[in-house]
Amino acid sequence: MFLGGATGAVVAMGVLVPIGLASRETASGGQTAAIVGFFPRLKVAGLSELEEGIPVLFDYPQVGQSSMLVKMGEPVIGGVGPDGDIVAFSRLCTHMGCAISEYQHEYKILGPCPCHYSTFDLVHGGMVTLGQATQDLPQLLLSVDDDAVYADGVFRLVYGFDNTLQGGELVGERV
Amino acid sequence: MTEANPAFVPLPPPDAEVKTTCCEYCPVACGYKVYLWPAGISGGRKAEENALGIDFPGPALSGKWPSQNMHTVIERNGIQTNVIIIPDGDSAVVNVGGTHSVRGGALAQKLYRQTGPTSDRYLTPMLKVRGQHLPISWEMAIDLMAELSHHVIDSYGELAWGMKIYSYQFYENVFAASKLALGEIGTPNYSPHHAPAEGDDVPGLSDVGIDAFGTAFADDKEADVLFIAGSDPYETKTVRFTTWQQAGGAKIIYVDPRKTFTAAYAENHGGLHLQLMPGTDTALYSAIAREIIANGWEDTEFVRDHIASRAELDQEGKWRRVQFGRSFDEFSRYLFSEDDFTLEGAERATGVPAAKIRMAAEMMTGAGGERPKTMLLFEKGVYWSHNYENTAAIGSLGALLGATGRPGRGTGRMGGHQRGGQKAAGYPLDKSPHSFEGHPIEMDTERWLVEGNTRFRWVVGTNWLGAMGATQALRKRVADLTSMGPEVDSTDPATVLRQLKERIDAGGLVIAHQEIYPNESTPSADIILAAGAWGEDTYARNNAERRLRIYDKIMDPPGDAIPDWKIFSMVAQRMGFAGFDWKDTNEIFEEASPKSAGGRRDFAALVEKAKAEGVRGHDLLATYGTQGLQTPLSLENGELIETVRLHEDLQFKTDSGKANFVFADWDAVKERNDILGPTSGEVWVINGRINALWNNLFDHARRQISKERWPMNFLEVHPDDAAAWGVESGDLLSIESDNVLDQLGNKTTGSFTAAAYVSDIVPPGVTFTYFLYPGSPSNAVTSADTSLQPLSLRYNFKLGKGKVTKIGTTDLKETMSFAPRNLAPAGPEG
Repeated sequence: MFLGGATGAVVAMGVLVPIGLASRETASGGQTAAIVGFFPRLKVAGLSELEEGIPVLFDYPQVGQSSMLVKMGEPVIGGVGPDGDIVAFSRLCTHMGCAISEYQHEYKILGPCPCHYSTFDLVHGGMVTLGQATQDLPQLLLSVDDDAVYADGVFRLVYGFDNTLQGGELVGERV
Repeated sequence: MTEANPAFVPLPPPDAEVKTTCCEYCPVACGYKVYLWPAGISGGRKAEENALGIDFPGPALSGKWPSQNMHTVIERNGIQTNVIIIPDGDSAVVNVGGTHSVRGGALAQKLYRQTGPTSDRYLTPMLKVRGQHLPISWEMAIDLMAELSHHVIDSYGELAWGMKIYSYQFYENVFAASKLALGEIGTPNYSPHHAPAEGDDVPGLSDVGIDAFGTAFADDKEADVLFIAGSDPYETKTVRFTTWQQAGGAKIIYVDPRKTFTAAYAENHGGLHLQLMPGTDTALYSAIAREIIANGWEDTEFVRDHIASRAELDQEGKWRRVQFGRSFDEFSRYLFSEDDFTLEGAERATGVPAAKIRMAAEMMTGAGGERPKTMLLFEKGVYWSHNYENTAAIGSLGALLGATGRPGRGTGRMGGHQRGGQKAAGYPLDKSPHSFEGHPIEMDTERWLVEGNTRFRWVVGTNWLGAMGATQALRKRVADLTSMGPEVDSTDPATVLRQLKERIDAGGLVIAHQEIYPNESTPSADIILAAGAWGEDTYARNNAERRLRIYDKIMDPPGDAIPDWKIFSMVAQRMGFAGFDWKDTNEIFEEASPKSAGGRRDFAALVEKAKAEGVRGHDLLATYGTQGLQTPLSLENGELIETVRLHEDLQFKTDSGKANFVFADWDAVKERNDILGPTSGEVWVINGRINALWNNLFDHARRQISKERWPMNFLEVHPDDAAAWGVESGDLLSIESDNVLDQLGNKTTGSFTAAAYVSDIVPPGVTFTYFLYPGSPSNAVTSADTSLQPLSLRYNFKLGKGKVTKIGTTDLKETMSFAPRNLAPAGPEG
């Protein structure tokens, strides 16, 4: 399902990015190149603070790259935590950049976008289930350390930017 | 800190080469800009450092953000070249502000690359030798085409020589093909990609006198009420919906057996969803018309001044209008004579609650108060179920409302594809072997072929077998016809020619197929002609509001592939015909311009102006960019005058200039529904397009984002039916009917498989599937007996049926999204 253009597993800070997630970057995001960048690490939430179906909003990796973390209640692609159910995505619609606020936990979808109604399936890596976006929603690479959920990277291009890591101000230090 | 691959897209530098084009797919035809520059270079993030002219990161709705799928790298003139194909963010028409669909938004992924998903393009002509396609030279291919054509025409006449071709793939290509087939050869054995015969797709509307493409997108925005039937605009004409229909705030009355996103949107925003059962449109539109007349809500002024009397109808030169045209009194008498056209009767006949039918009549007319501006728009759900009757009924309803020729008031098609059908010669109706009640009609070319009369068929740019009804029976018959006589077992040109002639003389069929990719029909072909297409030459085409624009060449066709027009030119010249020695597409465009005169696509004035100014027609059109020009065009004092909408003078396409109502025979429809509808144990299997896919997936089967979303064909099943059948989403289903009618009207069987998509988008007893998904021939369960529609010779594609059985399961249960696709936002009242 996620074959094609895969760059293989990416080892990052001792975290092995799941092959499926890594290859999704190219699978529905077009060309990629062997450029290596350094993502900031951002603590997003405490594990024990998360409530199923209640999104946490934050910017990552750059200021203005509005993202959303949610505990889905079932194991999903790219999910972390004891139940493999915590995921995070950019919430800037990859059609024309409107911020999507409507998370429908009953269906585990983000959308419809208020501008042109694109809708994304968070169980399936931010896949466009209906609508006009030409990329799946950028999915964040997460990790869990003790009780904290961290954002460690992002796959696919965030709306408005030409480079996930450049053009604006990073939300944290690249140590 | 984490080390990983950041995603990026290079920005076009200020000196990037810029070209203009439009989307390849739906009839809205959004305008696009193409940026080309050497690989390895990127423009800067400041507005003055990139060709897009904005600072990066850019704001929401800028219309200037290239997503990763808008970019690729191609080889162009031997140089690795960056390409960005991005909606024109400066556009003030069609896709205002650079909005776009998922189909067009990823156009860059369409381009040929030597590796990757588009690498399986046909690169050379090919010949089938012992069942395998082998590369041959163009010289050999053209010789075979010319020699075989001469042999068939000389020995069996021009009716034995057929062409099955797209109707829309640019003016220049259609002109060149039709100049050969209809002009020089003069065969009536010529039919479009979607039908067994040439002719009008919406004859009922045409007989009303209203042009099918007379309205403008601006009318959708201007309207107070949009009556949309048999076409899902959000799903399939996306930008027309979001930019023109939804944005205008009209109340939408949506007619569809499925409760799609558009249906939910309509209901949430003060509109209606008329969820009729398949095949019952005629009763629904007639019942609305009857309710309007019963209350005196019709546009009495329009009816009085612009509807023909019986005496005027009897003077019409077109026999159909004399026979089926109706005056207001005749129309009323018919409506009030049918019990199924009462509100209660129509509820029984269509499944739509009487109260909703009444409400539709009120909304469309203002119920005696101020008359709202109402548009009636429709497409294949209407005219591919009961062609003549449905288009007559909806056209008559439009006439009753005076919905034509005025801002926000119109009746017409939404369109299925763009409009590029400028032919070089008229159809030779006098040679057609088929007739209706003594009147000549176009040839049913599929019946003719199945009967063994066609000895040579040239298929151009279509999955011909998959696109016709009773597709499996047709495929079997074609296999029989192409296996007569000796098998080609040599690559020696003389031997091949002799063997193929022997097949023809044995009563068999030789097929040449001109294509860009292999599809489900190409294995049947003896000769493959490797074609170039969109972006591989410069072309012109109209969209559904008659907007004519240039489609620039981006790159050469791959390998030895050749643009379609040039293949027609080479074969025609090898056959000895003069007038085919065009140097480029502009010469064809200019030659075609006088042929367009007087019609809705009239661009003769453009070429006239170009010649007066000493420039090429294409070049003058290119100066209008993605805005283009709305045809028909005229010249006044050297300036081009466009036409926003047709019928503004309230003159119609009749001898009297008046419109008329048209008889929509509900009894004939009911009879046909009994023949075509589900039998015991079967359900309706209706079909259509889906957002992320286009036609036979010639591009989208090779596009990652589309294939990930739709990894195989699906069948939408209502949860109640799913429970009864023990089916859940992701199960593999067999859909089979033993009651399909083939091209000769004989009963046959058909079956296909698809993954279950359980959803309340369909009602119980009705399922829906994609109409041309490779490997899933859903037209196997649609009939192909044109004797059921003898006037217009259109298939009842939308009236498939079958028994649904679970035959296993798939891994799609875990990997495919089965999220609901009809969750529309709440309306203003929440």
